[in-house]
Amino acid sequence: MVGAMANSTQQQVDQAYGFLTTVDSPSHGLFGGYLIVDLEGRPLEFHCTAPVRVSRAQQILYGATLHGHLHGRQIGGTLLAEGGVVPRLVLTDQEPLLQARPHTQLPLALVTASQGAEQAGPTAHAGFSLGSLTVVPHATDRADETVLREHLEGLIQAVDLNEPFERIRAAIEEAQRH
Amino acid sequence: MATPDTPAPGAVQRVQSWRATEVVLPTTGILSRMVCQLPTPAALRLPIGVSRPTATTVPLLEARPAVERFLFSGQAAAAPPSRPPVRPRIAAPSLPAEASADAADPALRRRTRIAPPRDVVKRSERFFFLLQPDLETILETSRLEFPRQPFPFQFDGMAFLVPRHAAVLADEMGLGKSMQAISSLRLLIRSGEARRVLVVCPKGLVSNWARELADWAPELVVAVIEGDQRRRQWQWSLPEVPVKLANYEVVVRDRDLVAELGLEFDLVVLDEAQRIKNRDSQTSQSVRALRRGRSWALTGTPVENSADDIVGLFEFVAPGHLNDRMSPRELGAAAADHVLRRTKDKVLKDMPPRLNRDERIELTAEQRETYRRAEEEGVLRLAGLGQQATIQHVFELVLRLKQICNFDTATGESAKLDRLEAELEEIHASGKKSLVFSQWVATLGRLRERLSRFGAIEYHGGMSTIARDDCLRRFKNDSQHGVLLLSYGAGAVGLNLQFSQYVFLFDRWWNPAVEDQAINRAHRIGAAGAVTVTRYLSVDTIEERIDEVLRSKRDLSDTILSQAEPPAASGLTAEEIFALFRLSPPRRAAA
Repeated sequence: MVGAMANSTQQQVDQAYGFLTTVDSPSHGLFGGYLIVDLEGRPLEFHCTAPVRVSRAQQILYGATLHGHLHGRQIGGTLLAEGGVVPRLVLTDQEPLLQARPHTQLPLALVTASQGAEQAGPTAHAGFSLGSLTVVPHATDRADETVLREHLEGLIQAVDLNEPFERIRAAIEEAQRH
Repeated sequence: MATPDTPAPGAVQRVQSWRATEVVLPTTGILSRMVCQLPTPAALRLPIGVSRPTATTVPLLEARPAVERFLFSGQAAAAPPSRPPVRPRIAAPSLPAEASADAADPALRRRTRIAPPRDVVKRSERFFFLLQPDLETILETSRLEFPRQPFPFQFDGMAFLVPRHAAVLADEMGLGKSMQAISSLRLLIRSGEARRVLVVCPKGLVSNWARELADWAPELVVAVIEGDQRRRQWQWSLPEVPVKLANYEVVVRDRDLVAELGLEFDLVVLDEAQRIKNRDSQTSQSVRALRRGRSWALTGTPVENSADDIVGLFEFVAPGHLNDRMSPRELGAAAADHVLRRTKDKVLKDMPPRLNRDERIELTAEQRETYRRAEEEGVLRLAGLGQQATIQHVFELVLRLKQICNFDTATGESAKLDRLEAELEEIHASGKKSLVFSQWVATLGRLRERLSRFGAIEYHGGMSTIARDDCLRRFKNDSQHGVLLLSYGAGAVGLNLQFSQYVFLFDRWWNPAVEDQAINRAHRIGAAGAVTVTRYLSVDTIEERIDEVLRSKRDLSDTILSQAEPPAASGLTAEEIFALFRLSPPRRAAA
């Protein structure tokens, strides 16, 4: 359930939110970044992975399961296990990262630019709209959609939900330069 | 099949011996036997089995990547973790975004990023800045409101100042340096990064700064350090006042007192910081003696006369970062990390234009005669002094001639004033306001008498602060007062007179930067329309000759700030001053 997954070693901070994304660097590999912010968008924690390189052979062997494994388990699962502060939910801007959900107890949702109903597939879950964005919770968390929405309505008073991903990307780009 | 060890049947009878490499055959005649060497037989290997294939192991993506962890809990936006005091270098500010701010929708508004200063090298500290929300969000969530919506470039200025311990905000006059500094120090105080701030400004601007602080940071308590020593000591000692405001003279006078009290400031802001360009001056030494964490300098003219100016400025901002041995290009490169300079034409595309008019005035016949006599007598006197002539002697003559260009000392005639009066007729009739600058307070007095029908009032350093404030208030609010007469010394800096649309430089100052400052009292943010600047030059006089020299100086500031090579002439040298009268300086003066 939402907000009820803190283990004994994790710190409870009222109204923290997680943002999870990856940056694919042609020269280094795939970086993962996980930013936890407070209700005003200020950073509380940041975690980033060393780059993961995937060989051609691995691409062939993993086939269609590669993205899910790489993003969901390798990077997403690893990063979400690192947080000291327990966010109310974690947002990602990359669909493959939703596959981190089986590896964490944190609710996870995808943020996308709003699209018309006609663009959504007939079986796709539409999620809910917040301003110009659409939030699609992972299937596991759909039952908590109303609660998630309430949480995010507080956050979007100060923070554009796409903006923290820019910060993560900037930090990872910085990490590649230094 | 025959083998070396087992000859084939039949062959044995003829072959005497058989080894692996030779065959011995029996013969008849001379030779009893013949030995024939056989070539080494090539080995013939026949495969008896298949070798094992090389095993290639494709590692599965099981090992979890290493994770770096950065914690920011409880830290203020302006305070990077473990930030060492002073001496940072500065990263280029973020570029202004195209979109304007839209406070209603976070997704649509402009985002100004606080970039980490360049000398912040620890990854955790750089991440601290990079992971902060944009400045607009920080301001909004801090509940810091502005009386007016800042321009995008002003947000950039704040993003430049807030993370820096050593900064020169060198915007062109009129772009709101004080507002940017106030908003930035306000953020530092709100975040807890600064608790004791000292603002130092020229005496004539103290009340102006007090107003600006009340306007842009109304929640901050400000103590103006003034009065007798006992009162000042009490004011310096006030513990719960976050912002103290003092003029340069007070800082010089109370240098020992401040040291005795053990005062230390988290931030010291110098306004009109070009005042400390002379490193040997008491003013420079006194402000440099202030114990401080951050050093910000505000000046529209970081380079007034020579490259030494900016070296002097940096002795306060970042001691030792620049030195006299650096070439202008090296100075520019080193200073670029610490200096943010914007000009109106770059950041305010829609700002009303500034129209420059150089009006060449023919002296009246009487003025011309008085001028001719004075010049001839002066030059003869200088020539007669020979090696005893000093720059001071030349200056005296220059001033004498400039005064005659203003008013004939014999008759009181003034071709300039005649022209000015005629122009003011039309301006006053249209309800517009004018600023008139002169080098001399005495000239202002004569102008006031003659221009009384336009409600001309004076503003100069000889007036009390209260009288000057009252003067500004009347000029701004009373339509009867259409002309403000200002001295360059008191009126060229810090005043916001953007409701004036005409500026007259009745006589010329020695330094083009000071003239620009004067002009920018009117041509600044908030200007209602085009600002017309009229510079009077008396034809065929010392004024024209000085103007030629000033033109060659005008580019020096841009040269250093743009890291280009300097022009040949960087200031009024002794040679140039003597050359005004076609004289050569004595050797010691030239040195």
